[in-house]
Amino acid sequence: MNMVKSEHLTYEYTRITEDANGEVHEKITALSDVNITIEQGEFVVVLGHNGSGKSTFAKHINALLEPTKGTLCVKDMDTRNGDLLWDIRQSAGMVFQNPDNQLVATIVEEDIAFGPENMGVEPSEIRKRVDEALATVRMEQYATYSPSKLSGGQKQRIAIAGVLAMKPDCIVLDEPTAMLDPVGRKEVLETIRRLNREEGITIILITHYMDEAVQADRVYVIDDGKLVMEGVPKEIFSQVERLQGYGLDVPQVTEVAYLLRKEGIDLPADILTIEEMVGAICQYKSTI
Amino acid sequence: MIRDITIGQFYPVDSLVHKMDARAKLALTMMYIITLFFIKSFVGYGFVLLVLCAIIKLSHVPLKFMLKGIRSIMVIIVFTALINLFLTKGEHVLWEFGILHLTIEGIVLATQMCVRLVMLIMGSSVLTLTTTPIQLTDAIEALLRPLKKIGVPAHEIAMMMTIALRFIPTLLDETDKIMKAQQARGADFETGNLMQRAKSLIPILVPLFISAFRRAEELANAMEARCYHGDENRTRMNQMHMKQMDWIAVCLCVIYTGVIVALRFLPVV
Repeated sequence: MNMVKSEHLTYEYTRITEDANGEVHEKITALSDVNITIEQGEFVVVLGHNGSGKSTFAKHINALLEPTKGTLCVKDMDTRNGDLLWDIRQSAGMVFQNPDNQLVATIVEEDIAFGPENMGVEPSEIRKRVDEALATVRMEQYATYSPSKLSGGQKQRIAIAGVLAMKPDCIVLDEPTAMLDPVGRKEVLETIRRLNREEGITIILITHYMDEAVQADRVYVIDDGKLVMEGVPKEIFSQVERLQGYGLDVPQVTEVAYLLRKEGIDLPADILTIEEMVGAICQYKSTI
Repeated sequence: MIRDITIGQFYPVDSLVHKMDARAKLALTMMYIITLFFIKSFVGYGFVLLVLCAIIKLSHVPLKFMLKGIRSIMVIIVFTALINLFLTKGEHVLWEFGILHLTIEGIVLATQMCVRLVMLIMGSSVLTLTTTPIQLTDAIEALLRPLKKIGVPAHEIAMMMTIALRFIPTLLDETDKIMKAQQARGADFETGNLMQRAKSLIPILVPLFISAFRRAEELANAMEARCYHGDENRTRMNQMHMKQMDWIAVCLCVIYTGVIVALRFLPVV
């Protein structure tokens, strides 16, 4: 079964602005004809620069937005079907960019309980789920803290735990690291990867940081509302010039390799990590 | 410096009063406040003072913290006292000047009003010092629930209070940041007369409000994404239980109310 499947997904809205002649109605196409299929257990990264439509895509998975044309299904449930709304939101949890604006309660464990409480889960079962979710994100000792006492990375892990307590099959993360410092980013990314590997949860990570995409199973690049590239990270990142054309940077090592190749040094085009780079340079050295 | 403002005033120690069910505490406090207005005699006030002292002793909260609450309303107490003292008409006039007159009745009334106010604040301080804000909102929701039939949005009120409590530190932080940003660009919040100072707050309030609205929208999205749809079919992780102790407290409160009513209507004193 496909976890998420979008077919000809198009989203349009009208932007109303005011100028000298009064109101101007402008039709904006945020997404046009996007076809993406994500399998269960995959770690997928959706890349795109600001305003490319990647967040709009994320909001469709959680049924916060409804397609103008085309369809999007989560576990074969059509997001346009209002009766399935809560099932869809339970299956595909969502973590947002700003950690401060998604925590509801004044105490960490109360916040994690918020999702299951809304779903009408039994109190004893909620307690169990909260403890499990806290353990999964390794935040047990902060159970009774106030969110305002935590760092950005910790708050984001609590947000992830809040989604985990709803027992989702898939988690959509909309630029979860954009507002965090390097330490917080590392914490959050490690948590996401562990969830994917150990719990088998499908991860859809929306980001504009290239290095977060290196370990993904598949990468999709969205530009100006259209799906422009898709493939495994090595395929995507070997096309340095094309990515830069979409306003995206490649990981630093990949760029160094690209520049070296341009200078006539024969390195593979798909270097993504420092280790690969070291290996490639050693090999290259032994050939001269 | 702005972070020093504390929200709520919960004093975390272990005591019988702390362990009480928040609903019982809230109901008893309300009963206490109502009965305060029944009392007319000094014997009555003596009785309440005795009960209040016993409860404070049981709560293990230092008296110092109770008195803090009074300091903040000192102005109101003094004002009430002065008005009652000089504007009460009575038979035994001691001193008169224009519309001001000091009477025995005035002195009695002023004393009673002050005692009443102090006791009112002390009593409600016991509630807020021994109950966490979260327990308090839960209790309000529980006590308002019967009123849902006549259209009181009990769950919504409690949810709004929780969110307000959650965002107070966040918005304080934000205010601090905006103030510093404006100061860095030459804004002056400290000098000038009252009008000028009030005006200098505008560059703080405008960005603060804009950001609060943006936060509200994002929070609404995040809540919906976590299946929030009002209190329909909603459960709670923390269930409240009335323990034996709470029922005893309720019984004691009934007796207390009885005594207050008796003191008011029986011509003993």
